[in-house]
Amino acid sequence: MTAHDNLHSKLVAWLKVILPVAALALLSTLFLVSRTIDPSDAIPYAEVDIEERIREPRMTSPTYAGVTTDGASVTVAADEARPAPEGSDTASATRLRAQIATPDGGQADLLADSGSLDAREGLLTLMGAVEITTSTGYRITTDQVTSALERTDVQTAGPISATTPMGDLTAGRMTLGEDTASSGSYLLLFQDRVKLIYRPAN
Amino acid sequence: QGATVAFGGLQQDTSLPVEIQADQLAVNQADGSATFTGNVLVGQGEMRLSAGEVRVEYGPEGGSIERLHASGGVTLANKAEAAESVEAVYTIASGQVVMTGDVLLTQGQSALSGQKLVIDLKAGTGVMEGRVQTVFQPGGSVGGGAGSE
Repeated sequence: MTAHDNLHSKLVAWLKVILPVAALALLSTLFLVSRTIDPSDAIPYAEVDIEERIREPRMTSPTYAGVTTDGASVTVAADEARPAPEGSDTASATRLRAQIATPDGGQADLLADSGSLDAREGLLTLMGAVEITTSTGYRITTDQVTSALERTDVQTAGPISATTPMGDLTAGRMTLGEDTASSGSYLLLFQDRVKLIYRPAN
Repeated sequence: QGATVAFGGLQQDTSLPVEIQADQLAVNQADGSATFTGNVLVGQGEMRLSAGEVRVEYGPEGGSIERLHASGGVTLANKAEAAESVEAVYTIASGQVVMTGDVLLTQGQSALSGQKLVIDLKAGTGVMEGRVQTVFQPGGSVGGGAGSE
């Protein structure tokens, strides 16, 4: 290859060598210098004990939502729920939170330590320290409450004690449901030996 | 034309706690109005007010009771005096009880009837109005002056 006498040809000749080598170097950094990718930790595995889950199937933080025939929306959430064992259809759950919003604008929030949902009967039973807070400012504590899921009908099994906007209240039983007299309006009914103590502020 | 009646026995402190007992309490979820039904007994200090139904009227800022509307045959009783009427309204703050509808007031031996009786529990006085009639036993000393125009 004759020696080139002018500068331009020399320059091009050198470039023909340097440029490909630079390209090669650049390309190699793609593989040699890049972060090593560990394929095994690509998918995050749940660390839940698989055997325990298989032996005892559970759902964590399940929720149930529905609307009753009279138009009240019922939502139930829990920390953990176990499906019904064979032969029965009451699923049990722990730390339940239920909310019933009635079409007349009223709302009742129920909290309980544990509970069970009988799908066939459409009945939710709350047990443990049950606490019912209503939008009208009533905070009722009792030990067991059953609430129908098809229609708005919450009933306490035993006596209740409540703090109300007008004082402390105790009663033998409490039901929350549609007013039989005028449908569409909802009544919180306290029954047998209702006793209220109001302390005037002045 | 009304008769002022001394209510010595009924004078009492209206800041005492009020206790309401009944067979049933119904609270409307929309507006929170509360109604006691089924032989309702309202007690405050010495005073006892029994009625068929008592509706609670809340104070402006809520959390306090402004008035108790009693109906269905009301009986207000104290040590020696008792008053009966069809309806009554008890304003707790002012200690005023307005009883309306064939009111019958009995004080010891004497009895006084009329259409409306306004009792001021703080001062222990009452004013009976409307067709006031009185019956009292002559001779015996009448507990508390009862007179009528």
